[in-house]
Amino acid sequence: MKTRKKIDKTLEITLIVIMSVMVLNVLWQVFSRYVLNSPSSFTDELARYLMIWVGVLGAAYVSGRNMHVAIDVLPKRIGGKTQKQLEQVVRVAIVLFCFFGMVLGGSRLVYITYLLGQYSPALQLPLAFVYMVIPASGLVIMYYKISDIRKKL
Amino acid sequence: MEYVPILVLILSFVGLLAIGTPVAWSIAISSLLTMLVSVPAFPAFTTVSQRMATGLDSFALLAIPFFILSGELMNKGGIAHRLIAFAKTLVGAFPGGLALINVISAMLMGAIAGSAMASASAMGSILGPEMEKEGYDREFGAAVNITSATTGLIIPPSNILIVYSLASGGASIAALFLAGYIPGILTGLFLMIVASFWAKKKGYNVGERSSLKAIAKTFVDAVPSLFLLVLVIGGIVAGIFTATEASAIAVLYSLVLGFIYKEISFKKLPEILLSSSATTAIVMLLIGASMSMSWVLSFENIPQDISTGLLGITDNKIMILLIINVILLLVGIFMDMTPAVLIFTPIFLPVVTKLGLDPVHFGIIMILNLCIGLCTPPVGSVLFVGVGIAKTTIEKVVRPLVPLFVAMVVALFIVTYLPQLSLWLPSLFDL
Amino acid sequence: SDTKTIRLAHGLDVSHPVHKAMFKMGEDVETLSDGTLKMEIYPNQQLGTEREVVELLQIGSLDMTKVSGATLENFAPKIAVLGLPYLFRDRDHAFSVFDGPIGQELLDDAQQYWLKGLCFYDAGSRSFYTKDKSVEHPNDLKGKKIRVMESVTAMNMVSSMGGAPTPISWGELYTALQQGVVDGAENNPPSFYLSRHYEVCKYYSLNEHTFTPDILIASTHFWNTLSEEEQGWMKMAIENSVSYQRKLWAEAEAEALAAVEKAGVTVTRPSKEAFSKTTVNMLEELRDNEELYALIQRIKAE
Ligand code: NA
Ligand code: NA
Repeated sequence: MKTRKKIDKTLEITLIVIMSVMVLNVLWQVFSRYVLNSPSSFTDELARYLMIWVGVLGAAYVSGRNMHVAIDVLPKRIGGKTQKQLEQVVRVAIVLFCFFGMVLGGSRLVYITYLLGQYSPALQLPLAFVYMVIPASGLVIMYYKISDIRKKL
Repeated sequence: MEYVPILVLILSFVGLLAIGTPVAWSIAISSLLTMLVSVPAFPAFTTVSQRMATGLDSFALLAIPFFILSGELMNKGGIAHRLIAFAKTLVGAFPGGLALINVISAMLMGAIAGSAMASASAMGSILGPEMEKEGYDREFGAAVNITSATTGLIIPPSNILIVYSLASGGASIAALFLAGYIPGILTGLFLMIVASFWAKKKGYNVGERSSLKAIAKTFVDAVPSLFLLVLVIGGIVAGIFTATEASAIAVLYSLVLGFIYKEISFKKLPEILLSSSATTAIVMLLIGASMSMSWVLSFENIPQDISTGLLGITDNKIMILLIINVILLLVGIFMDMTPAVLIFTPIFLPVVTKLGLDPVHFGIIMILNLCIGLCTPPVGSVLFVGVGIAKTTIEKVVRPLVPLFVAMVVALFIVTYLPQLSLWLPSLFDL
Repeated sequence: SDTKTIRLAHGLDVSHPVHKAMFKMGEDVETLSDGTLKMEIYPNQQLGTEREVVELLQIGSLDMTKVSGATLENFAPKIAVLGLPYLFRDRDHAFSVFDGPIGQELLDDAQQYWLKGLCFYDAGSRSFYTKDKSVEHPNDLKGKKIRVMESVTAMNMVSSMGGAPTPISWGELYTALQQGVVDGAENNPPSFYLSRHYEVCKYYSLNEHTFTPDILIASTHFWNTLSEEEQGWMKMAIENSVSYQRKLWAEAEAEALAAVEKAGVTVTRPSKEAFSKTTVNMLEELRDNEELYALIQRIKAE
């Protein structure tokens, strides 16, 4: 339980920081262009990459809290033991997707963009760094879901 | 036509939804399974990852977290409260007054921002709690918010109309913008009528008529809050910032005002930032996953196959427009707007121009149609935002949504078969 | 069956000369191979933006694409040389470089990044268009906010000419121009026309600062699965498409210029000298990058 709390806290702080930087970044974009009359070259790109991070890391945070929208009419109607089993099946499906799609696929994406040295146009940031959030987030979601599965066994 | 991919897609998607898998994961998993039909395993895994991440790689999407955040700040900072107090003295005595306020504000918001999701998140977080306080069903409030938010995509400025212009090979953006006003306002009016009837039927609180003095007092209170609208519209019109940047200005302004009203403190900020990022993330995972699904649909040519089959049926203009509208309504159920516009414009536009339809008119038909799809489960970004913000569930919102859908469909058919509604304004400016 | 489907995705509209040329290439390949090679083209960014599709080539889920040299330089850095301002004297100079050994060298260079460079398509030259005053001399750019692509080279170019380079996404540009967030932008005539930016910008000054080409590339994963014979058919079809595309492009350019003039745009042809002078330093600053600098000298000597 303690590990889970620590992960939650880390995600929370990261999300708060990214969100604040996103706002400041876009305000700076307007300020540098309109007030300083020397438009910033990196803000647009930074904003988009932060957006990816908020979305993908946030997805992990939200998964830990079970806040993702589901249509659970059928399982609720069935109820009882079958409903519990279905819930476990759903968790397993998510774990499998996170493993193959996000962790394996995401790591391969990071590997390819790192190996082939793709850089972003404005910040000259390695794309591998931007994409790293996918396998990382995939691992966190797997951790949350596996601990949920074990709790319910 | 390849049947295997489409079967895999539909079966896995429906199956996953049925056992209660969260929608975003259902979309992502079924997209990956479908991809595995024609793409080798490792490239497929990697492609799903890439689509989910790059689906969020868009500056225009920033308006979503920012309007969610500013909405929350307005809520906690006493701005929303003052705005609504003022609006209530104005239309509070009508049945469903708050719902009417919602529609009108959404249309106003639509005239500021190009994104329906932004509008849904701002209005939903400000008005939702107020409606509940007044005894409205949470789901009814969410439904009105969701449907009215889409009017902002037809009322200019509108990013999606720009996307359409590009996909159509150059329909005039200026003409498209002008063409959007009447259909957008018409749709808003229809929604107001339905909302008003529903509220009357449910017997929601109808306020008392306010005195002029009360109106004046609430107005003065609301001036700094109303100034936000002036700031945002003024800033865009004066060319100080773009529509997306305006959402960040809205955050700054509502934060400052919240501090001045002493209703927000630095201590409260992290909490507000966190809950806004969580709401944002719910939406973003859905968008990312939808982008994977759109990719695999296009990759397998599924949209083209479906429309070729259906258009082989007739060459009557009225019938074809009907068929196209039905196809687009079905597409909208499962697909997000931007990819749908990009995929279906080049397929349908040559067909309808041969029948003598104006590309500008068709653009309005298409966007208005796909607006409905944005509000329908299982895949509808505005629906997700509206439901997320109202903290309710999709299946509960469906019931009050149905009559509002009917209103939108009626508006759609009027706009489809009366081209003047779209083309009159542009014709005044020789466009 | 023994038919192979080649999947080509790109970001252009189907009316664009490059799409038409690639479509013809697909037909030719099918004929040459007696139907054993089929090409499936996905236009309009259906499968992603230029950058994303190049990445999908490296990932191995798509076979081919066409990208702007400006996009490809983030994958294969040497290509950046082609985007330098006033590197080419004129269009013939550009074509002779693309078609000659330097062009081939640059195409081959992409191979180490898992991308097989196949050919250059003409993307014309980019010039400034503005809202309220035509750009006859770099002085006319002073203090003007000019939208540029998100590329270091493009930004350096506009600032060395005296303007304020402003990266704004293509989708937001129309409204940004209309409302005056930026004062102008730069692009080739067909893009200026098709984007409808001429409705807002009434001055188009053909200073022709860059000749960045479009480049056809294939994934090496895919290319290596082709037999020598199949590669031969591909090369033949590609070669035919290049000359066809240049003809189409020239027509599209003339058409676009005529159409914007008819719509009330003042099209001017300022002297390039003053413009190219301002960018001399920019090229000189690349002296430290020996490889690139040598390439510049060779291109200039061509
Ligand atoms: Na709008
Ligand atoms: Na939908």
